[in-house]
Amino acid sequence: MSPKSMLGVILLAAVVLLGLESLYVVSERERAVVLRFGELIKPNVQPGLHIKAPFIDKVRIFDGRLLTLDSSPERFLTQEKKALIIDSFVKWRIDNVETFYTATSGDIRRANQLLSQRVESRLRNIVGSKTLQEVVSGERDQLMEFITNNLNGIARQELGVAVADVRIKGIDLPPQVSDSVFERMATERDKEAQEIRSQGNEQAEVIRADADRQKRVLLAEAFRDAEKARGDGDAKAAAIYAKAYNADAEFFSFYRSLQAYKETFRKQGDIMVLDPDSDFFHYLKQSGAK
Amino acid sequence: MAWNEPGGNGKNQDPWGGGNRGGNQGPPDLDEAFRKLQEKLNGIFGGKGGGASSSSSGSSGMLIVVLLVAFAAYIWNAVYIVDQKERAVVLRFGEYLETVNPGLHIYFPPIDSKYQENVTEFRTYNLRHQMLTEDENIVEVAMSVQYNIAELKDFVLNVENPESSLEQATQSALRHVVGGSEMHSVLTEGREAMADEVRERLQSYIDNYGSGINVGKINVESTSAPREVQAAFDDVIRAREDKERSQNRAQSYANAIVPEARGEAQRMLEEAEGYRQEVIARAEGEASRFSQLLAEYTKAPEVTRQRLYLDTMQEVLGKSNKVLVDVEGGNNMMYLPLDKIMQEQTSITSGGKVELSPQQVRDLANKVAEDLRSRSNTSTRSGRNAQ
Repeated sequence: MSPKSMLGVILLAAVVLLGLESLYVVSERERAVVLRFGELIKPNVQPGLHIKAPFIDKVRIFDGRLLTLDSSPERFLTQEKKALIIDSFVKWRIDNVETFYTATSGDIRRANQLLSQRVESRLRNIVGSKTLQEVVSGERDQLMEFITNNLNGIARQELGVAVADVRIKGIDLPPQVSDSVFERMATERDKEAQEIRSQGNEQAEVIRADADRQKRVLLAEAFRDAEKARGDGDAKAAAIYAKAYNADAEFFSFYRSLQAYKETFRKQGDIMVLDPDSDFFHYLKQSGAK
Repeated sequence: MAWNEPGGNGKNQDPWGGGNRGGNQGPPDLDEAFRKLQEKLNGIFGGKGGGASSSSSGSSGMLIVVLLVAFAAYIWNAVYIVDQKERAVVLRFGEYLETVNPGLHIYFPPIDSKYQENVTEFRTYNLRHQMLTEDENIVEVAMSVQYNIAELKDFVLNVENPESSLEQATQSALRHVVGGSEMHSVLTEGREAMADEVRERLQSYIDNYGSGINVGKINVESTSAPREVQAAFDDVIRAREDKERSQNRAQSYANAIVPEARGEAQRMLEEAEGYRQEVIARAEGEASRFSQLLAEYTKAPEVTRQRLYLDTMQEVLGKSNKVLVDVEGGNNMMYLPLDKIMQEQTSITSGGKVELSPQQVRDLANKVAEDLRSRSNTSTRSGRNAQ
């Protein structure tokens, strides 16, 4: 290669380098500031292709999207001194690039750290003023909105950061407390199971007793009606007998006695010890008339 | 069609004079395009570049080949296909240019940058956590969130990590809803409503973030008591079964005895009714018989009376064993082996043997009579003597 063409290549490289050094792109996803010798000359660069003074101006580019501060779970005390482990997250984005740069020197981690301290202290204050019930189930929306708004004002001012959302991701009881909650839940279930079983036995007993009563009543009523029917029969029979027998009471007793004799000695092999003087043997002793 | 897309495409193809289309058709056009490109390059770098390339035709040929390959590689990268399921967002110099619909497209790195994502397909996020309920119990909830990208521009540009944001928002929304519900409702009938509420909340959270995500369906896969107390919960279910069982047993007892009692009662009534009708009928019968007999008796009382008496005595005595004792005076002690006679009779009858035949009875009677006679002779001798 000739020195001339060598020079050409070097010049070309220099032009390219210069071009690259004087042009920069800021994406929609980003925010940027331009510094000249450390002095902020362009506080908020819009997305697009831009030109700067090569080697003199420095561009600092930050993530302009919604960022997440996912802090680690912390132990909080409620108003009634119950411990809760709360896991929260904060959604924020850079609002004022200049303030953000001066407050955090453009370091997202540093910003997260500053923010998390502020969130935690607010959360701690607010949880400490509420009961566990209120924190878990109460007006969590208002709570979060309050923290968000409260934080937003200061964060915007001090950090150049807009807080979009503060939310509690998880509320848990500390392990030892959970154990006693589990025990309580188990005993509650035991109580319920016992109650259900006993109710079952109760109702079974009621059903059985009812059945027994029905049986008793049925039989007793049947007995009553049966006795009535028998009495009716007896009464009617007695009336019939009386009506018939009253016609000749003397003959009736004679006739009935004879029947009774027949019935009484119906059985074969009964032994009768007889006096030959009885009426029946009247003719057995003497054939002639008396 | 892709070629007719509004925006930068048509413009950007101009410098190559349809080279893109030529690339698809075959090498000759591509060569021509490269020649044009080379000419332009020569034009840009002026005489120096031209001098360098004209100084040696061999190195110029090499350069052409290298440029050709580089250009082909560039085109290969720049042309892209957006599937029916997908959309792509193109930024030019960092500024949002367009959202590209399905088809064949070209973009120009590094001037353009492209973000291509599947937007129609529903993605799923599953989570399973223990959480506190309103009544300070702990439940375990498993849930799945189906979501897709509604607005790719927002999805790409607004949020640092849209999917992890969705996951955080889901956890927050779910815990919020469970924290506002009682355990019983979470475990049983409240699940459907819970899914709806979580969905509503989640959508409002992520809309607030501008993440461009659309929450489709939320399924509460399961809600259960934590493992630590599962046994106690199962026992409650067993208790319900036990209750049912003991009630069924009692019911079957009732079903057994009540109808039986009803039957028994009916039997008592029927028997009584039978008795009633029987005694009345008998009374009528007997009364009728008596009345009829009485009518005849009144006609001839003496004879009838005597006849009836004798008939009866005949019948009675004819059936019985008779012992005729001719005893004068009342204080004679008479001994009859009555018990023996009775015993003999009962043992024979109860032994299932044949009854005494008339002959045997007669023999027995004779024997007794004889025995009595001999006895009375001895025992009553004093009496007789006294007489």
